[in-house]
Amino acid sequence: MIEIVKAPPFATVQDLGRTRLRAQGVPFSGAMDLEATVFANLLAGNAEGAAVIEWALGEGRIRLTDTRTFSVFGATVEWNYSLLTPGMTLVAEAGEEITLHVPERRFAYIAFGGGIDVPELLGSRSTYLPGGFGGHEGRRLKNGDRLPLGPPVTRFNTGWADAMAEFLPRTDGPVRLVPGPQVDLFDPGEFDRLFAGKLAVGRGSDRMGYRLEGQEFSHNAPAALPSEPVCVGAVQVPQGGAPIVLMPDGPTVGGYPKIASIITTDLGRFAQLQPAARPDFELVTFEEAIAALRDREARFREGARVVRNP
Amino acid sequence: MIRWLPLGDSALTLVFGDAIDPLVHGRILAVARRFREQPPRGVSEVVPAYTTLGVWFNPLERNAADLASELVEIAEEADGRADGQTDSREFVIPVHYDGPDLDEVASRLGITRDEVIRRHTATTYRVYLLGFVPGFAFLGLLDPSLELPRRSSPRLKVPAGSVAIAGRQTAVYPLDTPGGWHLLGRTDLTFFDPRRNPPALLGVGDAVRFEAIS
Repeated sequence: MIEIVKAPPFATVQDLGRTRLRAQGVPFSGAMDLEATVFANLLAGNAEGAAVIEWALGEGRIRLTDTRTFSVFGATVEWNYSLLTPGMTLVAEAGEEITLHVPERRFAYIAFGGGIDVPELLGSRSTYLPGGFGGHEGRRLKNGDRLPLGPPVTRFNTGWADAMAEFLPRTDGPVRLVPGPQVDLFDPGEFDRLFAGKLAVGRGSDRMGYRLEGQEFSHNAPAALPSEPVCVGAVQVPQGGAPIVLMPDGPTVGGYPKIASIITTDLGRFAQLQPAARPDFELVTFEEAIAALRDREARFREGARVVRNP
Repeated sequence: MIRWLPLGDSALTLVFGDAIDPLVHGRILAVARRFREQPPRGVSEVVPAYTTLGVWFNPLERNAADLASELVEIAEEADGRADGQTDSREFVIPVHYDGPDLDEVASRLGITRDEVIRRHTATTYRVYLLGFVPGFAFLGLLDPSLELPRRSSPRLKVPAGSVAIAGRQTAVYPLDTPGGWHLLGRTDLTFFDPRRNPPALLGVGDAVRFEAIS
């Protein structure tokens, strides 16, 4: 069990999201940065999809009621009178408190050995705030919440972090795009402007979608396209011309033309951009997108191998 | 002629037509059922919509172009055998027609409240797709005489159970959400319950009628 002594802002239980229910209109939900979630889990000794706590913007404090491994990604933590860098495998004793610091980028994650053991709902433990379900009572965490953990991890190794270092996600680098399904409705010059470095993440950005500001895009679409399925990472252009990138809590269908899509591998890196940050968009081919995904899968596999054979 | 478009790196869209049409939608449902019953290798999920079928797949297992040509081939074959059989169910939704926009809708259309209700309850609608939020069923097509654009300023909170119209569509809000449609009334039925299987009350292809209750 963990007790939320001081809930950090925007703290929710998340995992690798919901799939297979898009036809019911159920969004992917899940962690904004899946890669950080996977590595936080591996370092805590969990399977890659265990439920973790995601938070943003501020600090928090968590107390353990029994001895557990834990690992933090995306923020420093204070524990046992030490300031610790992200990406370590640590073990806290019953009664000890962990102070979570402000995330270095937008979202940070803490995984506990055994994972957060809230009930699985529609195939996932992730919180879907707009629908008020999943995670812990379908809401953000608040002071005094007590969350159960799964069975503790018995084998762990504080040397995992060093062994895993070379497989960890790169936080810098471009956000790669492939052309969207309606790219033909945009003049080629319009499409090229995506890569001019003038777009910035807007303030009105949340787990449902990130606005892009600084440039508007015109297209030759009729006023209303019949709504069709959309994917997380789709860059859609509503009537006003300011693009919106669909994020994990975003809708599963939409009627706006989609000029491009962020490749699956770079969704976490994009999600980590703060308002006003300028994404370094780079156009890649579908083959390059698949190669990046294959590389990521290999890094997950290697990370898991380190944990299983310390 | 079925076309395909890439939807990111892990999904593709099969395009069956350009305009909303029950016949086109029937073909999409037949193909969706075929893909669910005998999933082509690498396919994890299919999502039917008005004129398109979204197909999610594992790109590490299947190349999109190869998969797309296989899907188009199966779809055209399934199309040829479409026998009109569907899993469609019929629903009658009891509605209290006391919505906050009913008077405004009536006056903008130049008809009485009762006439709005009569026309809204006269059509048997088809569920074309689910989306926007979980369990939100897009029902069509609305009587053209009830067609209005969305409200110029959307409400920040539309209560769950609100029965609404916009364009040639009608729907019931399954959750408290922001919304820009015109609210005609409310129903007590639960349109989405994450603890129910399946969680959404309505499925794509179902037939839906509204009935006025006091």
